[in-house]
Amino acid sequence: MVAGGPTGRDVLRAAIGGQRRHLVAASVLGIAHQGCEALVPVVIGVVIDQAVATGSLDVLLRWLLVLCVLFFVLSTCYRTGARAAERAGEQAAHRLRLDLGARVLDPRGGAEAGRLPGALVNIATGDAKRVGAVATVLAYGMSAVAGLAISAVALLRISVPLGLLVLLGIPPLLWLGHRISQPLERRSGVEQERAAQASGVAADLVAGLRVLKGIGAEAAAVSRYRRTSQDSLAAALRAARSRAGHDGAVLALTGIFIVIIALVGAHLAMRDVISVGELVAAVGLAQFLLGPFQLLTFVNAEFAQGRASADRIASVLAAPPAVPVGSAALPEPVGGAVRLRGVSYGALRGVDLDIAAGSLVGVVARDPAAATDLLACLGREADPTGGTIELDGAGLAGLDPAEVRRAILVAQHDADLFEGTLLENVLAGTAPGTDAGRAMAAAAADEVAGTLPHGVDTVLAERGRSLSGGQRQRVALARALAADPPVLVVHDPTTAVDTVTEVRIAAGIRQVRRDRTTILVTTSPALLAVTDRVVVVDGGTVTADGPHPDLVAAREDYRSVVLT
Amino acid sequence: MSGTGRCERELLPTATGAQTAAAVGALLRGHRMLAVAAVTVMVVGTGIGLLTAPLLGHIVDLVVERRGAAALTVPMVLLVVVAVGRGVATAYGSSLIARLGETMLAGLRERFVERALRLPLERVEQAGSGDLTSRVTSDVTLIAKSVRQALPEFSRSALTIVLTLVGLAVLDWRFLLAALVAAPIQVLTVRWYVRRAIPVYAAHRVATGALQHQLLDSVDGARTVRAFRLSGKHVDLVAGRSESTVDLALRGIRLMTGFFSRLNLAELVGLGSVLVAGFVLVRNGSATIGTATAAALYFHSLFNPINAALVLIDDAQSAAASLARLVGVSTLPTEQEPSRPARPMDGSVKVAGLSHAYVAGHSVLRDVDLEVRSGERVALVGASGAGKTTLAKLIAGIHQPSAGSVALGGVDIADLGPAGTRRTVTLISQEVHVFAGTLADDLRLARPEAGDAELREALARVGALSWVEALPEGLATVVGEGGHRLTVAQSQQLALARLVLADPPIAILDEATADAGSAGARILEEAAGRALQGRTGLVVAHRLTQAATADRVVVLDHGRVVEAGTHEELIAAGGRYATLWAAWSDSRNSV
Repeated sequence: MVAGGPTGRDVLRAAIGGQRRHLVAASVLGIAHQGCEALVPVVIGVVIDQAVATGSLDVLLRWLLVLCVLFFVLSTCYRTGARAAERAGEQAAHRLRLDLGARVLDPRGGAEAGRLPGALVNIATGDAKRVGAVATVLAYGMSAVAGLAISAVALLRISVPLGLLVLLGIPPLLWLGHRISQPLERRSGVEQERAAQASGVAADLVAGLRVLKGIGAEAAAVSRYRRTSQDSLAAALRAARSRAGHDGAVLALTGIFIVIIALVGAHLAMRDVISVGELVAAVGLAQFLLGPFQLLTFVNAEFAQGRASADRIASVLAAPPAVPVGSAALPEPVGGAVRLRGVSYGALRGVDLDIAAGSLVGVVARDPAAATDLLACLGREADPTGGTIELDGAGLAGLDPAEVRRAILVAQHDADLFEGTLLENVLAGTAPGTDAGRAMAAAAADEVAGTLPHGVDTVLAERGRSLSGGQRQRVALARALAADPPVLVVHDPTTAVDTVTEVRIAAGIRQVRRDRTTILVTTSPALLAVTDRVVVVDGGTVTADGPHPDLVAAREDYRSVVLT
Repeated sequence: MSGTGRCERELLPTATGAQTAAAVGALLRGHRMLAVAAVTVMVVGTGIGLLTAPLLGHIVDLVVERRGAAALTVPMVLLVVVAVGRGVATAYGSSLIARLGETMLAGLRERFVERALRLPLERVEQAGSGDLTSRVTSDVTLIAKSVRQALPEFSRSALTIVLTLVGLAVLDWRFLLAALVAAPIQVLTVRWYVRRAIPVYAAHRVATGALQHQLLDSVDGARTVRAFRLSGKHVDLVAGRSESTVDLALRGIRLMTGFFSRLNLAELVGLGSVLVAGFVLVRNGSATIGTATAAALYFHSLFNPINAALVLIDDAQSAAASLARLVGVSTLPTEQEPSRPARPMDGSVKVAGLSHAYVAGHSVLRDVDLEVRSGERVALVGASGAGKTTLAKLIAGIHQPSAGSVALGGVDIADLGPAGTRRTVTLISQEVHVFAGTLADDLRLARPEAGDAELREALARVGALSWVEALPEGLATVVGEGGHRLTVAQSQQLALARLVLADPPIAILDEATADAGSAGARILEEAAGRALQGRTGLVVAHRLTQAATADRVVVLDHGRVVEAGTHEELIAAGGRYATLWAAWSDSRNSV
């Protein structure tokens, strides 16, 4: 976890720095490999000079043997070095995926704001991979530089002016290559963004497939995807044109550079400063130089793409948390007394509320938004804009959000189930070895298990979407009850459950949560009937407070909310 | 967490090589001119590039023959022209190839998504939507990468190899023979590699799909993960999946590096034999030193293109595997439209002898008969798991029943055809997905040609216009994942507005008001009532008030219809419905 907002540059640096060992090994071996590659044309030159030109079989065989040794070393260095480089890339991507996962799931939240889950997944896979690739190509880049250096030395040994020409010619060539790649960087950013968007739209449509099927909107959905796909195509074509121009320009530049070397070499050979074999070697080296040059261009392009990806990753990692971390600790053991003073947030306008430890309290909110906002504050997904919430006298805002959730579990109305068996889902929030039986029975989730082909061991496909709404609610409620937190806040747990079962569940909650603080945010009379008292929130403030039967008897407005 | 039992899913199919090739061929046929132009430009560019080696060889001969510095001018100028010409042709050719590839890719992904969205829901659920999502995202991205990088490179390299071999033959046919000594090693190497690499890449692809699935699972459920303090566990799950993809990727890399090591051997053998050939030919006077030099340089300059082309076998493998996964979905049977689709007479529904089981031996519906008159409003009542949702989906034609028949407007669903069924009946399910994009775009999924006024009218009918107009940008507000978050009740109102816009004669509401909580439920019940006006309504009811106001109540239990009649009749009969009603009203009055 990088604190305090990393930039794209930090992300790249950390990705490369984290793989230092592999990268050093890969670079050293890569340098050796390139060195050997550079020596191949030198040996060709020697063979031409001393064997082909003289017709000496002895010399030919001797140099062919040298060629064999050269290739053996070259091949071994390549194999080992490339493995290290690729390992570095894979591991860097893996680390980034974990960092991104940890940031998105961080208790402080805030990373998923403004992003489609599909787009986030794309960042964690595609972008992480591209940044990892930067680590890999860095090693290749080092070896390319070494290849250039070795060629230069070989050329210097042949002739000082030739060697100097290469050494002085390379930097302006590289600079030009860099200049040419700048528009490419910008366009490939747009290209990737559009591709991610098309990908996100497709993932969103697949996620809403059931709804699309229900209203027969497949055709409309297809044309929507087609539009984003065409946008993505347009961006890709712009980037491709830019890339093609870049490649062509670099090719022409390097070609001209080699011609200059050949020209100078030929003049030197004419004047007998160098031999014909040395001219062949020089030309061979100049041709070989294309390889490292192209490798460097490739490295440059990968860096350009990697930077764009690193920026996207950094923007997720640096997303401001929804709530700040606190340092205060909760008193042990948690008693469970909850106290709200003047809490304002969203639809809440100064809520005062005291909930005694161990009590079962119903909260009836006329406005669903008020219920949602109250839950957000109690689970510390957000801090109130005004007022305070205290647990056993400790202000929630001063606590670590994870610490808050250890004590207060907010079971959302639309809580997600996860890939896994029914039992694994129910036990998700418990210590190992917990028995799920009591919670399952209380939430009537045992009945759900009874209807499934493999009982509690049935794998819930599609995060439980293969279950009906009522079945899913009961499994989610069983999970919340099994977690057995000191304070449990449950939001509308039985809206899709039939009445008979709902009454059974109400009794179950009462029994399982005996002497544990429980807040039921609901308007269901079956659930409210088992509470110790009910608090009504209307217009953002508490407007009524008392036992359910009293409120039913005394207040018309309460009856109209609860008993329709 | 154990991994056992997780792989029982029946993934969506993968196409065979022949099917994939046929699909690519069909795409290519649509762009024949572009393809010809691209290849021509690339051939010209490569051909120009190949002039480099003979020009250099010529320079060597000029030096050997001591022709003087002036003689160098012409070949040098030609070399510069070659360099520039090659650059220009490469730039133009690459951009043509990219246009060809990208356009084909866009066609492919659009066709694929179209087919994917038209897959039967059952099939997608069987495979897990992660399978489909990973095909829509990762596989498309991977193919795009190949098209962007591998395709231009491969075409360049392949052309270079072919034309270089031609160049060798022109120097002396014996140089070509010497160069071809390396070919058997290359062929064997490719076969060695392909045989081992295919299973590793296939496994890598599966592992990537699993990683994607896990990421989506954790990211989409992030709130729940945080509430239950499962962050650590979910990060571990992601780590586990990610590690297995890394392991498989590294196994692939071991194979790839082994592959190149073997190709180095081919280079050595080829280069050695070309040098020996040069030695022999120069000694017996059939070649000059310059020709031998050019041959050696030619062969040396083949190292990179051969490696580049053969390494792309690697990319081509990955891309082909991804492509097969896209084409595989396209090969699934399409929905068959009847040759002469019938039109529904009215809004009646007739269900006869309907049975259904999702898993063989676990019947969810057993021999259900049900008739609904046109315009009638029928409430389906029953405990959770009684089969109400299944019945709703069968009537909406989303699932095929195991046995029995469904007729809408007097016409069997089979005769209506999928498109006709969709026009006739709309199902609002428990899913309250709000599509990412503007609110207007979301609504227009139900009626793409609707104007803003129609959208407003539909919203007004379900009582949603006031809050929509209060949104920061009204109808243009971006909603759904990543946008303005709507409450559950608002999302359901949106679903009802989509129903109004789709305007079918028959509507099925499956617990559409159930999820909003009681406070929102009343508003939604009214909205649902207005949305159902003028059509046949089948309402899956949990709130018995919905049942009490319906024309008729049908009670399901364990997949069978156990009672049917008006609210009053059923109360008077004192059966199961009466018991439910008593429990319902007790919880409201006894306190």
